[in-house]
Amino acid sequence: MKAIRVQHTGGPEVMELTELAAPRPKPNEAVVKVSAAGVNSIDGQFRDGSLRTPLPFIPGQEGAGVVTEVGAQAKTVKIGDRVAWSGVLGSYAEYVVSPEEHLVPVPAAVTDEHAAAAMMHGLTAHYLVNDAHKLKAGETALVHAAAGGVGLLLVQMACAIGARVIGTASSEEKAKLAREAGADEVIIFTRQDFESEVKRLTGGKGVDVVYDGVGKATFEKNLNVMRLRGMLVLYGMSSGPVPPVDPAKLSEKGSLYMARTTLAHFTATREELLARTGALFAMIADGKLKLRIAKTYPLAEAPQAHRDMEARKIAGKMLLVP
Amino acid sequence: MKAIQVRQPGGLEAMELVDLPVPEPKANEAVVKLAASGVNFIDVYQREGRYKVPLPFVLGQEGAGAVTAVGADVKGLKAGDRVAYASILGSYAEYAAVPADKLVPVPSGVTDQQAAGAMLQGMTAHYLSHDAFPLQRGETALVHAAAGGVGLLLVQMAHNIGARVIATVSTGEKAKLAREAGADDVILYSQSDFEAETKRFMGGKGVDVVYDSVGKTTFEKGLNILRPRGMMVLFGGSSGAVPPFDLITLSTKGSLYVTRPTLAAYTATREELMARSGAVFGMLAAGKLKLRIEHTYPLAEVQRAHRELEARKTTGKLLLIP
Repeated sequence: MKAIRVQHTGGPEVMELTELAAPRPKPNEAVVKVSAAGVNSIDGQFRDGSLRTPLPFIPGQEGAGVVTEVGAQAKTVKIGDRVAWSGVLGSYAEYVVSPEEHLVPVPAAVTDEHAAAAMMHGLTAHYLVNDAHKLKAGETALVHAAAGGVGLLLVQMACAIGARVIGTASSEEKAKLAREAGADEVIIFTRQDFESEVKRLTGGKGVDVVYDGVGKATFEKNLNVMRLRGMLVLYGMSSGPVPPVDPAKLSEKGSLYMARTTLAHFTATREELLARTGALFAMIADGKLKLRIAKTYPLAEAPQAHRDMEARKIAGKMLLVP
Repeated sequence: MKAIQVRQPGGLEAMELVDLPVPEPKANEAVVKLAASGVNFIDVYQREGRYKVPLPFVLGQEGAGAVTAVGADVKGLKAGDRVAYASILGSYAEYAAVPADKLVPVPSGVTDQQAAGAMLQGMTAHYLSHDAFPLQRGETALVHAAAGGVGLLLVQMAHNIGARVIATVSTGEKAKLAREAGADDVILYSQSDFEAETKRFMGGKGVDVVYDSVGKTTFEKGLNILRPRGMMVLFGGSSGAVPPFDLITLSTKGSLYVTRPTLAAYTATREELMARSGAVFGMLAAGKLKLRIEHTYPLAEVQRAHRELEARKTTGKLLLIP
């Protein structure tokens, strides 16, 4: 099968299109023919070595497709099932093998492309507003990278809950997308200081919660824009990891709460995974959650997809199609 | 009037018994003739200079007594009213001038010594178990220094809520007190590794919350015994301040929450102060909370009080009587 392989970590060019043997399933696994694979910033972190995994590897953690082979002990999937997954390395390929518990059913009303586009970002947005900090109507949330993959979904979900959403974005174009998704205000952080703007927009009080997938570039100022006892949910580090934090800062800045979360802990059981994907696909099928698929690339153009992602030019989801 | 003053931060000798004029109330203050003052670990940090205070200052931030004078703008208070307060410097003295909005009434079912003994540590135990991490029936909390001032009150409150309490203490005598207060399991950290012991008690599962006033020597291990999405509530540093830590450890250890609260943030409005002190006094008056007043010292023997507190010999509350 065709697959993208990384033999040593580095820039986008280390992702090479190669011909590999198609995988075979272990007893509790299934093989899926990939219709579409999602591109995520975590893929860049594995590719450049900031996150470690044994070499060589096939990147990509997310996708959707059809089951073509099942292991002898697989109970929850059969050949022909339409499934989607996140957290299964190897998606930038024509076929991927996965433990059956990571494969979730895709309803007829949701296309493969939408399912692939929604898994990681949608499940992330879902756990952020429902569990990491359970957002309530009337609260104010600051959403960084509001026009990004998670951002656009997070803004929609937060608005549906009845929260006031302040977003940040790097350009007017992206701000427009965030506003269309429902953000009440969007700060173009390349032109304005988000700290003083948030203070102004909240009458000096600060927001109830900050949802941040940016990390290093926004951390210090995030501590300054929350109300007393507010919550910072750090769910990613697209600008790099946050340097070590002195806990005393949390108390100085207002007895703040902080969580550093990953999707795995919010989809730790099959029950929880199915509940979240069920809710997510229902929102998509009902038209309540709009996915923006910004661009689709052939598998061979994976390096370009990463270049575009890292240049931050793309607003919305990028897919690779084998 | 007699008072204990610090002119330069330092050891026990930094506390000097001096003669100062009885304070006059500012327009928004009242003067309280102190019947008793509470001794708290924060007094040690301020005396040492670990927490900075403009010099010279009268030490102590907790007291109870009767109002003797009120400032021009004060309403609702008159001479003779029984009051208590916390978080206002100057209580190691015969009289203290306190902003009226920080004075709370002491009900007749509560003595001056109980009021002075319960304000700071009682409200701390209350906010920890009811707000910082609101404990639910059936949850498990780990409480460090469980036989200390806050510890004994926190164990009682957690027990009353119906939570399971794992307590850590340094001696057999303290273990007995912690059990009497309602701890379900007690670990002598001087003999056993609390991390291993907790994992054993919990059958490998994590606790829901760690209430940690010890800090440096316990923080990291505390993160290891939390369940996924559990919370570390770091509210003190008796073994030293927790050094800056890498946020990624929070995500790898289970998408954990950390908060470093202060009492001030949980008594920020008059309403909240009245509600919290009212709840604590109510529990005392009803016998639901027992305050262990370990020892009372004359004001002039404050050095002995601090020496014994720092030597970890004491349990429960220490009071100074002017």
